[in-house]
Order: sequence, then C-alpha cells, then structure tokens
Amino acid sequence: MNDEQLKELFARAKQERAEQAEQAKPEAKQRAIDAAMAEFSAAGCADKKDSKPSQALFAWLRLSRAKSSTEDSFMNRYFLPGIVGGAATVFSLLFIVVLVDFDVSQRPLSNDGEALVADINSPEAEPRLEEELIVTGFRAEPSKQTYAESAAAAPALAEAAPAVAQVPGHEAPGVDSIASKPVSKSMSRSMLLSKQQIAPAAPAANYAQASSDLLPPARQQAFRDQFEHAELSGIKLVKNEPVSTFSIDVDTASYSYVRRTLNEGHLPPADSVRIEEMLNYFDYNYPAPTNAKQPFKASTWLSASPWNKGKKLLHIGIKAYELEGQAQPKSKLVFLLDVSGSMNSPDKLPLVKQSMNLLLSKLHDDDSVAIVVYAGAAGTVLEPTKVKDKQKILSALNRLEAGGSTAGAEGIELAYQLAEAQFDKDAVNRIILATDGDFNVGIRDRETLKNFVERKRAKGIFLSVLGFGRGNYNDHLMQELAQNGNGVAAYIDTLSEAQKVLVEEAHASLFPVANDVKIQLEFNPAQVSEYRLVGYETRALRNEDFNNDKVDAGDIGAGHKVTAIYELTPADSAAQSHEPLRYAKPSKAAAPADGEWAFVKIRYKLPGETQSKLIEQPVTKAQQQVPAELKQEFEFATAVAGFAQLLKDERYVHSWGFDEALELAKANRGEDDFGYRSEFVQLIRKAQVAKAM
Amino acid sequence: MQQIDEQLIRDSQRGDAAAFARLLNLVYELIYGFALKLLGKVEDAEDLTQQACIKLAKVIRQFRFEAAFTTWLYRLVYNLSLDWRRSQKRHQAEPLGEYEPPKTSGQGEAQLELERVLALVSTMGKGMKETLILVYAEGCTHKQAADILAVKESTVSWRLHEIRKRLKEEADYE
Repeated sequence: MNDEQLKELFARAKQERAEQAEQAKPEAKQRAIDAAMAEFSAAGCADKKDSKPSQALFAWLRLSRAKSSTEDSFMNRYFLPGIVGGAATVFSLLFIVVLVDFDVSQRPLSNDGEALVADINSPEAEPRLEEELIVTGFRAEPSKQTYAESAAAAPALAEAAPAVAQVPGHEAPGVDSIASKPVSKSMSRSMLLSKQQIAPAAPAANYAQASSDLLPPARQQAFRDQFEHAELSGIKLVKNEPVSTFSIDVDTASYSYVRRTLNEGHLPPADSVRIEEMLNYFDYNYPAPTNAKQPFKASTWLSASPWNKGKKLLHIGIKAYELEGQAQPKSKLVFLLDVSGSMNSPDKLPLVKQSMNLLLSKLHDDDSVAIVVYAGAAGTVLEPTKVKDKQKILSALNRLEAGGSTAGAEGIELAYQLAEAQFDKDAVNRIILATDGDFNVGIRDRETLKNFVERKRAKGIFLSVLGFGRGNYNDHLMQELAQNGNGVAAYIDTLSEAQKVLVEEAHASLFPVANDVKIQLEFNPAQVSEYRLVGYETRALRNEDFNNDKVDAGDIGAGHKVTAIYELTPADSAAQSHEPLRYAKPSKAAAPADGEWAFVKIRYKLPGETQSKLIEQPVTKAQQQVPAELKQEFEFATAVAGFAQLLKDERYVHSWGFDEALELAKANRGEDDFGYRSEFVQLIRKAQVAKAM
Repeated sequence: MQQIDEQLIRDSQRGDAAAFARLLNLVYELIYGFALKLLGKVEDAEDLTQQACIKLAKVIRQFRFEAAFTTWLYRLVYNLSLDWRRSQKRHQAEPLGEYEPPKTSGQGEAQLELERVLALVSTMGKGMKETLILVYAEGCTHKQAADILAVKESTVSWRLHEIRKRLKEEADYE
C-alpha cells in the first residue's frame, strides 16, 4: 500500500464515519464539558500550585516548579511570536484543510439539530451553555479585535500558503476568532462556501508544500466510490399521469458491484443498487425477432404481484436480434486503458489485460485493434493492428504496467484520433475505456468530456466503459459517458464477468442493433388506477421526449434482453394505495378500448439513422396467459426485481422478504447454462447473512 | 491542526471560566476525533474525551507556550489513551505479534480495511499506530508528530517508512 492509498483509505474511512454520523454526540460533549468546568472551578479555588499527579503524568513536559511569574511571561513573549507565529502558520494550513473538511463532512449542513450557535457574548460562564459551536477556520465575519494576535497570524499565513489561501474566500483564514453574534446562517453559508471552494482548489492546490502530506481527499472525486442518489419512483395515479416514459438500459454494472459487496460479506450501499441493471443482468429466453429490419420483439405478461395483495405486475420483455456468426460486422476497436498507480491491484490492471485478451478471441482476423493508455504513461502503445497479428497485440498488452502519476493531455483525444485513423464506415468503430474511476483522460471538465463523446458518436465512433476495482469507482460518470457514447457500461469484478461481458455477450457489447430506444406506456384508466415502474429511476424521460429524436436514450446491442416491470393497481382492486379524493367528483372513465390494460410504444433508431421508428402493441387481458417457459423467465425476473428492492428500498414490498425471493428464484432457475442464476440464489443467501449481522 | 488563540489560553489559565468554556468547545472535536481513531469505538472515545477535558481543566495552567497548544493537547490525549488502554486491558494496545481481524459490524468497507491496517500496524511496535494516525488522519507533519509523541523527527519518518514497507509486503503477499 503506498502513500496515496493510505491517505485514500483514511479519507474513505472518515467519510464512512461521517455518513454513519459517528460524530461526537451533543450529550456526550455536554457531559464532558460540564465535568471539565466543574473541575476547572474546583481547580480555580486552589492555589496555582502544580498538583502532584498531573506533574507525574506530564513529567516529560519538563514542568518547572516555578509558577507563571512575570519573569516567565516576559520570556515567553520573546519566544511567542516566533514559535506561535511559525507554528500557527503551519497549523492554520492544516487546520483549514483538515477542519473544514472535518467539519463540513462531519457536520452536515442540513441542520440535524446538532449544529448550534454559540452566543459568545453571553456572560454566564457556567457549564450549562445553552448553545455550542465548533469554530472552524472560516467565519463570515472577521475576528473581533480582542484577540490581536489573530491579525498578526493572518498575514503570515497569507504569505506562507498561497495555494491554500486561495481556498478560503474570507478574510482571517485559519483563525479561531470569535464571531460577535450568533452566526448560524452565516456559519452554514461560510461552511457551504468553504466546501465549494475547497472542491475546485483541491485538485489544483498542492498541499505537499509547507504542511504535511495531508490532502483533503474527501474533496477529490477520485478517492471514493461514487453513486448517484435517485429517489424511488412513487406510485402514480393513472388519472393524473396516464403516460409513463423511460429509456431502456442494458448496463449491468450495478449487478456486478452488488455481487462483489455481498461476496465480501456486507450489504451494498442503496445507491449502488439499480434495479433495472440487476434485472437485465440475466439472459432471459424471450422470443426473439427474426430479422434485422425489426430488430427487437416485445413480450408482455400480466401476473399477480407477490409483493402486494390485490396488485398486478406487468412484465415487458424485449429481446434484440441476434447476429449469426458470419454476419458479425467488422470491428475497429481502440482500447483506452487507465494505467495510473491506483490500477495496481490484482483486480484492476491484470484483470483488464485478461479481459482484453478474452475480447480478442471473439474478433475476426481483419478486425483491428489499437491500444492507448492514459494517466501514468501516456500515448499510443499500439498502432491500429489487425487481429491477424494477435501476437503483436498480446505483447503490447502484456507490457503494460500501472504506475506513475498523471501525464498530460493524452488519452481520450488520442484514442479518438486513432479511431478516426482506422475508421471504416462499414465497421463498428468503438473505443473501450477501461478504468477504475480515474477519468483523467485529458479533458478535465465533465460536461466537456460528455459533449466530446457525443460529438464523436455522431461521427460514428462509439464508446463503452468498463469499470474495475474499488475505492475509486465513479459509477455515475461511467453511466453517463457510456450512454453518450452509445455504449455499454459494465463493471468487471472477476474474470468470469469479463468472460460474460466480453465473450458471451461480445456481440451485445460491441454491436448495436438499435439506438436511442425509448419506451412509453399509456394506461387505461378503466382497468388500471395506479402504477409504479420498478427501477429505471435514472432513466426516466419526459413524455414529450418520446417523440423527440434529438433526445438521447439507451442502445440495444445484438442479442440483448431488456426487462421492465410495472406494478399496477387494477381499478376494481380493494388495494388502492392512494386515498380516494374527498372533494373531486369521481368521473366515470370512458373505457374506450375494453379489455386493454395499457398500450406499449417503443421508439428506436436503426444504427446510423437519425429518424426513429415506432413499434406499438396493446397489453390485453389475453396476455395473462403465456407459455410456461416464458412464465418461468418472468417469474425469475420478479425474484430479481424483488431482491433488488429489498436491497435498495423496501417500502413498496410488503410481507415478502429474502426467503420468498429465495423460493421464487430457486423455482425458476431453468437450465441455467452458465450458473448465473444459481449464483444469484447464493447472493440472496449472502444478503440474508449480511443483513443479520 | 488548529491554532488556538493564545489570549484564550491565558485567560483560561487566569481562571476565566467563560474563556475556558470557549476553549473546550474549540478543541472538543479535535480531541474526540483523535480519540476515536486511537480507540476505534464511539463509547470509548467519548469516555476518553471526557477524561481529557477534565484533565485539561486540571493542567491548563501548566501549559507554558513552549510548543503549540495543540501539540500539547495531542500529547495529553495520547498519554491518556495509553493509561486508558492499560486500565481497560484491551489487547489491541500492545499485542505480541498476532492481530485479531476486525469483526464486521455494519461498518463501511473502508472503515473495516482501516481497522485491519491499524491492527496490523499496532503489532509493529509501540507508537507505530499513533504515528500513522497523527500523520495521515490528523494531518501532522513529521515534526509535529514527533513533538507529540516525544520522539525524534527522524524516528517518525523511519516509522512511517517501515509501516509502508510492511503494508506493501502484506499486499504483495496476498
């Protein structure tokens, strides 16, 4: 473990502690302060003599028996500016960095009732302080002149630490000055400001000078696994919102990540669980389309909901056209690989190499591959080379080593240049980015990076993102880039996963058969009164975006399967979630198309086209009968969706737990050629264990 | 590490209760944070922090401004933690070669890993773990850590070097 990793580890642990709100509890703090004040008063009554016990304890402080006489204070006054000033400078640096980070992360801005304000001017010096405040180095107001030394320290500070001084936007940084009045609002504001200021300064500022090796790692995105937080979709009323629109998603990253966490014995963070990705991990045997003109087929099934009595589940299963062996289009790939120092662990760069190796086995002789690295070394490791020369590619791969710090503006632009150099309009031109979270690919700003990827996509060069390892994993950015690049985002935690994504599903990962696929459902108010889409929270689209071809959506690769589940409340069910309205008159629904529950519309674009096509079909009562094999697939999907909800947010799952998930999954394992479903069953068991701990 | 205003300390030493109360408020989180890292458990850290506050009340007059107040304070807490551990007879303190792997208890992954690392480092000898905590978590320079632990600065540097070496070996061996 190197220096960087150590720092990272401490920072992450601190972050986790902050998240678990393991900070000093106010009761404990109050008790401590009360006790200390009592002691203080008691000690104040006694004379200023050194007490034996403390002297013994602090013998190494070289206590002299001399009292604090004037003689001493004179001496101290000489030393004081030098020592305190010098120390103050250094300490203030660290103090700003640590304590703001400390404070801001450990004292959330949202007032949880613990961040209080000191009324400093209150005369009662009694232990029973009404309000308390931990002073950070940042104040909205400058210090009162009572403490003149603070002013002296400030300029000294400003000289010594130009980098840090850019961080606090306020005057008198690093000073524990006492504000004149309750400053709760300005306190929060100043904390907010300092937090924001630290963030941009952190990557730029090189704290290695003057102060310690302390970085504020919590401020740097690179040192944490990040997930976007998304609220669960609620239960919607059909009469208010009869239409539901979302983008499909074939990424599988969430499932791998969850699997990894469960295998380590704990429950995954709720935000890392994306139900649709868990659902879509599995290979469902939905009926397949027969030709590439209509590249996918949608099957639906209406079943009873196991999670809520009186409700139903609407399953939608989409299967994309599978390519035959010969029909595999040519591939022009560029591997863009992260070789920063953090890629050193066995589950990172070595696994990347193995994965790329596997992928090569699926390519044909006249496909070509180039390799570009970033963040460590820089530049082209292999010019575009035909897969025929496999040995050359393999040796280039094997020579790769992780290490070093970030190199310049190489990386993604270079990768795209190579892709353009080998561009073939009849081939699939794709960049495969493999990283553990360092997106330091040469374009710093996220928005610029996303736009860049989008523009290149328009030219026909796609991007897929493979995530590896942990501690750095930037899930959200991965997803966004992959979507902008018309590619897949997957998380490769083991060699088997690499095998799955890059070999078994190579076609799906590499070759899109439909782009910008959007789904829209309209529910029939005569049959359905409420609905809830399970998952796809981060994929929701506005209803009007459905017909807008400029709005980007997910892409389906050859052979991909997509599953979506809605939980419906039938109009005549007793189990309505919403209370009936008191004031509005219940209107009789027109019941236009009797027997239809909903109408499903799917928009997609064929690869290379900019105008979308439409598929539509109704969901009728008749769809409650499906062949047994299809039923099995849908039931398994139900088990997965239920399990995912239990992990993420179980508020809509009633009297259905891990045991029921286990039963349902076991009963519907089917043939399970590769063992993924059995692995899933094991995961449920592991979750039960992890939860019980 | 923060800078405590000298006047505040002097006022406290003179017996100004309001000043001392303010001082306590200023340093509470600092003590608590350090205690938590040293001891690992919230209840223990609260205990230790309370003891430190009481001790501080007793000995505030003995601070002679020869070093930074926070250095002195860290030392105070550190020594208290040694006493505390001895009295609690916890064997995470000065173990003899084996370390017990941390129990999972709903903690985050980094915390567990950190616990593991700290447990391992504490088997390396006296003061190793505290050195690591002071430099990496509390943000001290080697010099400051040396002051707090009352050792030479070169000792601190050497300790850190050894720790890194040992952790690397650990990682490589796996």
